Formats: sequence, structure tokens, C-alpha cells
Amino acid sequence: MVTLTLKGRVIVAGNCKGKALVTTQPITFLGGVNPKTGIIIEQNHELHGQNITDKILCFPHGHGSTVGSYVLYALKKRGVAPKAMITEKADTVVTVGAIIAQIPMLDQMEIKKIKTGDTVEIQTHDGLATIKVLRET
Amino acid sequence: MYLTREEEKILDGEHGWAEQICMRILVKLGDLFGATKLIPVNSAHVSGVSYKTLGEAPIQFLQALAENNAKAKVKATLNPSSIDKKIFGNKIPREFYAKQATILELFQKMHVKPVLTCTPYYIEKPKLNTHLAWSESSAVIYANSILGSWTNREGSPSALAAAIIGKTPNYGIHQPENRDATTFVQIEAKLESEVDYGVLGILVGKKLQGGSPLFQGINASEKDCLKQLGAALASTSNINMFCYGQKPKEKIEKITITKKELEHTTKNLSTAGSEATPDLVFIGCPHCSLDEIRHIAKLVKGRKVKKHVQLWICASRYVKQKAKTQIEVIEKTGAKVLSDTCAVVTWTRLLGINTIMTNSAKTAYYAPTLNKAQTILAPLEKCLKTALIP
Repeated sequence: MVTLTLKGRVIVAGNCKGKALVTTQPITFLGGVNPKTGIIIEQNHELHGQNITDKILCFPHGHGSTVGSYVLYALKKRGVAPKAMITEKADTVVTVGAIIAQIPMLDQMEIKKIKTGDTVEIQTHDGLATIKVLRET
Repeated sequence: MYLTREEEKILDGEHGWAEQICMRILVKLGDLFGATKLIPVNSAHVSGVSYKTLGEAPIQFLQALAENNAKAKVKATLNPSSIDKKIFGNKIPREFYAKQATILELFQKMHVKPVLTCTPYYIEKPKLNTHLAWSESSAVIYANSILGSWTNREGSPSALAAAIIGKTPNYGIHQPENRDATTFVQIEAKLESEVDYGVLGILVGKKLQGGSPLFQGINASEKDCLKQLGAALASTSNINMFCYGQKPKEKIEKITITKKELEHTTKNLSTAGSEATPDLVFIGCPHCSLDEIRHIAKLVKGRKVKKHVQLWICASRYVKQKAKTQIEVIEKTGAKVLSDTCAVVTWTRLLGINTIMTNSAKTAYYAPTLNKAQTILAPLEKCLKTALIP
């Protein structure tokens, strides 16, 4: 078991633990994620066909229409939202989406150090985020 | 970010959930982008209205806000929807009408006026140096560059939040130092028509991505050409303001746009072959001004639209109302004058439209993806010549 600790900034606070789903590509929420199922439908995206439900979704930042924030709200209401979002750079679409849907969100994180399937434990305190990454060896 | 006691109370939820969530949006964005406080806005213009572009995504959140009694505190207006009820008839499924109606009702409950236009500045021109929270990119750049009012390019939710709180965080273009030109753009060609201005916008937007270009030698009196320039610039970049008719305050970067580059960009914005005939000739992206409607009426008076072509002129209800005589002249030709929508935000494929001819570089840029249509970009006169019987 490998354990790694990473630090970042809190955008929306909340402590939680879950399995990571990681991409190096930005995610477009409007048109890129099915708001009813949580499945990524953006053509040519490396996570195409993957489900973000209950995952700790790790991606550099959001992309596309600002209406994407509403998609995050719709995902949450249907119970298919990610458990938390870890980004490199907070952008307007994902930030507003995380606020209205109340999904914990962090930025300024080195997401490259996290791998899909890792168990990620998020703790937020006073604007600072600490995450523990557990990887089976 | 500094908050007044009253703002703190809203953030703590003393005014209910709706205002609390709106305040959270404004404060968090303000913190992220370096605002020092919230400032009052004179108006908010909210995008994210067309059911065709949005689907059902916003309905639940808008419902939650409306149910929690959210109401706009300042003048708030809406961007175009996906439908002009009078024109589209039963070619659009009933379900789409119902969904679009739901979205509009929710906004209306919150006192956001369904003017359904991308040109709210024709209805009421915002005053010089006033702060706004607008979220239609072509309107934002028009307000900053041509009207001299101040607005960031808001997203749909942040413009709505600003409407409900009546304020916006003072980052970005609300700071005077962020309104100076950053790049001097020299143009080695004469701009002959509104299409040339639009093409220039597409090209410079792609090259610069951000900042504020200062254009040398463009005609400041041609407001409708500047509208095309701005709409196109904002389509290919995050640019929210351009400058003209002034000297840069300090030495800034300089780029040159060649005639060849402009020609090349123009050619690429027409994706249909040179022999193609359009199903639709579309004028009014952004929605037409009163001047444009008057000019079109003069050009089409007494003529008829060809059998297998549709001619759409899009303008706000307000402009339509102001130009009743000219609208009659235009409609007599068989052309349709649409309000509340435009070709880009409606279901052109369902209406049997596969090739769109337009004088708008912004439409030519978006139609291949948003409408799955082929495009022909040409100046107004040529567009009308194509649509009308000789």
C-alpha cells in the first residue's frame, strides 16, 4: 500500500472518501456529461463512457458553456454527482456548479499524482485541503 | 474580500436560501479573481435561456430559486430563447414548446424580463461608466467597447446571482487599469463591409485569446460593423473589450493583420462549396438595430423571396415595434422577421435547413457545430441578392 499526502486550496469545503477517477483533459459539463446518468458522453474524451457518480473526480479544469454549472446541480439532484472534485485550476463553470450543488471542490492540486482507482480521503480545514491518496500495490 | 454587515447577513442565510446561494456564488468568484468588494450594478442580462442549447439542465436549479422566492433587485433581462411561436408553428415538437415555456416562466417568476434578445442595449442604452453584470458575450463586448459601460463576461448563473443580489464583485474589467489597450492591431487592408469587420474579429480573437486589442484605422461611426467585430472577437477568445480611435497610453505589443490572412479566414468561414445554394439566408446575428432594419427595408422593397429559400431577419420585439412600417415592407417580400430567437439557438435541422448564408462571422463560426449546417459568409447585399428574385 502506497500512501501519499497532497495539499491544495478549498473551493467548497467538505470531508469525504472515495475512489478517484482521473483525467488530464478538461471536462465540458454541458453536452459532455449525461445529466441523468453521470456518464461522460463527450466524443474523443479519454473518460468517454465512464461514470462519474460517487467518484472523486480529478481533472485540470472545466470547459465550455457556463450553463455547465446547472448540469452539476442536476447531477446532484438525481444522485449521480461526483462525491468531490479535485482540480488544478478553479474555473467559473465548475466553481459555481460546486457551490450550487454543494459538492466539495479543491484546486491547486497536483492531480497528476493521483491515479484512477486510488482511494482518496479529503479533509478541509480553514481554506486548506489535505488529501490522502491510498494505492494498492 | 470585504463584505458589509448586510452582505454578511445574506451570506449567513438570514434572507433565505436563494439569496444565500447567490451571495455564495458572487463572493467565491470575487475571492478567486481578486475582487476587494461587491459593487452595485445598474442591470443584469442573463444568458442560458434557449431550451435547444441547454436542454433540461437549468430547470431544477431555476425552480429551486423561484420556489425560494428569489427576485431580481435590479433591471434584469433575458437572452434569446429557442422559439418564435408565430413563425415556427408545428414544425417544432410540442414538448419543446412546453419545456421552453417552463424555463421562461421560472425566469419571469424571478422578475427577469423576457426581452429575449442578445441586444438589450437597443431597448435601454446603459449609461457611460456604469457597472453591469451581463452574460451574452456579444453584448458584453458591445457595452464595454462602444457604449463605455463596464461589465465582465458573466456566466449564466453569476449574471442571475448578480440580478438577485443587485451587485457584482469588482474584479476584472470593473477596474480602470484593466480597460487599457494591450495590443496594437495594424490592418493592412481596407475593411469594405460588415463581413470584413467580423472576419477581422474572428482572426484577431484566435491570435490574441485575451487582453484588449486597439484597432488602428477602423471607422468609429459604423456601429453595426463594430457590433460584428465585437461579436466575432468574443466568439474566438476571452476578449471582452476592444479599443479604437485612440493612442495607446504606453508602449504595447503590436501585431499586423495582412490582406492575405483576412482573405484566408473569410474563405474558411464558408464551408459550403462555391456552387452551393442556401436553404436559409439569415440576417440578424447579433439581432438587428433599427438602422439595419431600415436599410434592409430599403433594399428589399417591392421584391419577392425565391421559392426554395427562406429569408430570416432577426431583431428584438422592441426594434420590431419601433420599425413597424419597415417590418411590413420586409414581410411583404415573403421574408420572416423573427423575434425572441435566432438561427443559431433554434432547431434549424428540424426546419429542414442544411445550408445557412449569413453576413455574420459569428454565425458562420458557430453554425457548423451548433446547427450542423454548412455556411456561406457574404455581405448583406449579396445575401439579399441570393434570397430575392432578380
